Amino acid sequence: MDNMNFLKKILERSGKLFEKGRPLSWAHPIWEATDTILFSTDKQTDSGPHIRDNMDIKRTMFFVVIALIPCYLFGAYNIGYLNDMATTDVSRSMFGNFIFGMSYVLPILIITFVSGAICELTFSVIRRHEVNEGFLVTCALIPLTLPPLVPLWQVFIGTAFGIIIGKEIFGGVGTNIFNPALTARAFMYFAFPTRMSGEKIWAVLPDGNTGATALAIPANSPKNIASDLFSEASNVAPNYFDFSLWKMCWGLIPGSIGETNKILILLGAIFLVYVGIASWRTMVASVSGLFFTAFLFNILAGFSTNAMLTITPLQHLLIGSFLFGTVFMATEPVTSAHTNKGKWIYGFMIGVLTVIIRSVNPAYPEGVMLAILIMNMFAPLIDYYVVKSNIKMRIARNA
Amino acid sequence: MFKLKIKNGHNVNIAGNPDKKFLPTRHHSSVSLSPENFRYIKPKLLVKENDSIQLGDPVFFDKLNPDIKWPAIASGKISKIVYGDRRVIKEIIFEVNDDKEKSLQPNSPNGLSSKEGVINYLLEKNMWPFLKQRPFNKVANPSDNPKSIIISLANTAPLAINHHFTLSDQQEYIVSALKHLKELTDGKLFLIVRPGEFTYLSDLEYIDLVEIEGPHPAGNIGVVLNHIQPINNKDIIWTVEGHHLPILGKIFSDGIFDPSITINIAGPCVKKPSYIKTRLGCPVDIYCQDNLTRDDVRIISGNVLTGKEINLDGYTNFYDSSISIIEKSFERSFMGWLHPGGSSKYSIFNAYIGDNKKPYKFTTLQNGSERAFVPIGAWEKVFPMDIYINELARSIVANDVDEMEQLGIYECDEEDVALCSFVCPSKTDVGGIIRKGLDLIYFDG
Repeated sequence: MDNMNFLKKILERSGKLFEKGRPLSWAHPIWEATDTILFSTDKQTDSGPHIRDNMDIKRTMFFVVIALIPCYLFGAYNIGYLNDMATTDVSRSMFGNFIFGMSYVLPILIITFVSGAICELTFSVIRRHEVNEGFLVTCALIPLTLPPLVPLWQVFIGTAFGIIIGKEIFGGVGTNIFNPALTARAFMYFAFPTRMSGEKIWAVLPDGNTGATALAIPANSPKNIASDLFSEASNVAPNYFDFSLWKMCWGLIPGSIGETNKILILLGAIFLVYVGIASWRTMVASVSGLFFTAFLFNILAGFSTNAMLTITPLQHLLIGSFLFGTVFMATEPVTSAHTNKGKWIYGFMIGVLTVIIRSVNPAYPEGVMLAILIMNMFAPLIDYYVVKSNIKMRIARNA
Repeated sequence: MFKLKIKNGHNVNIAGNPDKKFLPTRHHSSVSLSPENFRYIKPKLLVKENDSIQLGDPVFFDKLNPDIKWPAIASGKISKIVYGDRRVIKEIIFEVNDDKEKSLQPNSPNGLSSKEGVINYLLEKNMWPFLKQRPFNKVANPSDNPKSIIISLANTAPLAINHHFTLSDQQEYIVSALKHLKELTDGKLFLIVRPGEFTYLSDLEYIDLVEIEGPHPAGNIGVVLNHIQPINNKDIIWTVEGHHLPILGKIFSDGIFDPSITINIAGPCVKKPSYIKTRLGCPVDIYCQDNLTRDDVRIISGNVLTGKEINLDGYTNFYDSSISIIEKSFERSFMGWLHPGGSSKYSIFNAYIGDNKKPYKFTTLQNGSERAFVPIGAWEKVFPMDIYINELARSIVANDVDEMEQLGIYECDEEDVALCSFVCPSKTDVGGIIRKGLDLIYFDG
């Protein structure tokens, strides 16, 4: 405990250097962040209620990061597992696979956080606003949406773009329109298409092997039934990836680092809903939208040669990053619709758009990223009309 | 009779709930009346220091509405007038003379059977400040025509007094007060009660009982009005504090101003949280002596959500019915955001392991730094009105008066959104924002 008091005293004393009018006052936000990460603030209630709930933004954001950790662990393992399976002369233990995967995940993660921290701290110093813990969530999300073989310099630029263009130029956390992590992902997808799409980047495989994602399989083979294509693609030499529903649910297939295991994503969703951070309305609405549209397309499939239309609703749910996007990106409170009614519409439309983008334009198989960004854009409009109905009711009463 | 079940809200489980018994009555040598307890008035004094004074005599009036005068809340003399910056009158302190108070003779008033009669009587007796209005939560204007009158006898705030207990022996005066207050409106007289309480009121045909169930802020007049008779743009609703009813009753039936009230002293730092029979503007130190578990406390006149901090040598505010006392804590826990939970944390989110069943010792800690507002739906969990509070707050921050009106600012008051500030992870003072909006409209309009 003495050590603690010593640390506290150091912080208190050094804090004086960062006060107004002192030489380091420009760096006050950085000091405040460090100080309150180490010790909870002793700030007193001065206006409003004299007592306050123990939940704060630090803990809120920390919880989202906790929900993401299983995805990281599994993502790393999956990279090792796929490599192990495709490589004939290598055989590693489970832990060995994990370490192998980590050697790819960790550098991406570190670069993301370095880039994110530089941007966030610079802006908080220039703008004189507190360091918002939200950037930790943004930085924790970005690597999970990336292929394992993404070049690190692209990660650095992408993250910076996401934080600066996605968030800071709109005024920082609370006023941004687009999800910063998705903005980063979208920027990288369109700026570096050769390293963000194709068949060679979704798993770390020996030369000559390809690791197409589940979504790419029906996208590239028209005039077929998606289910048949999945079975055909499964257990084919030299990769032996299994695209059965159950295996896709378990996530031992090529894909972005964090999106493949749906069970862990579901656990994260349950956790976030239980704690009260993420909105179950958005998630349920989004899955309903996906099921509704996929079902509709299944009916229309007979009139078309597009194999994407034959993907069943359940397959749509399990392939690609839809679930990851729905649980961790669509529910982001600032950029989602704010009203409860609005969340139903917002979520439903994300599901609808995901299937439409996936199916109608097979050249661009993953739809959830654009679906969420488009709905981010429409969220204020949805809220506007929801609130408008409340206003109309009030005006009618006044008349 | 209306029955109202409120779903969204939260009963803060704070330690130090008062027992249903009374502390021994103490002698009050001084009491205080502060013009600062009354919003939007410009007080002008009618007395000087050392003036001798009788209960109910006018002490100051409102320059903006000279008909409204404030009564002396004690017989004796004006012992001190405290001024603040630019000679703002902060407090008028009375020295109490018991003999002089006992000499008052009852005289039954007459002419109380019409609206004008009641208004004139209350103005003449200087009792008008007991009537408040919504919107703005200020002293009512006698020339207004209130759409209805609403009184809450179900205080759901944390550590609040139980009116059913404190008013149990005041039936006669309550009925007298209500009968005359009904004269003031052509609309209804609503009384908010809990099920099974104040059953005798259901026999009075001029009263509309509203039975409420559910967590705080179910008993707030703003919340109830939002459900049964929402305040429209030009509506004025009048209200009276439940614990002031006996005072008004005595004025109406006996013609005597008796400033006695029953309030409570409660909170985690009170040794014996209980009820006290005291009077308007009473000093708090006589009730704190030997009754506090520690020295470093914050004393609040009113409840812990909406009350105002006062000093140990201070006095309770005019409209308040409780004294709440919580610890002033400056404790900084190492990596507090990682804390697993247990009995040292309280949250309406499932953010800590362990439950909140045991009464929690709240302190003055804000439990986090202010941050930009992240709408994770916390406010909505505890805000049971048909109002988009998030959008309303945004319109106020943007100073957009039209939109504030459209989103229902007149229906809200600080107390209705106090729980939103309590739960807000960004530590936003939602009540302060609502007040800013109301002020803006009041001074512009």
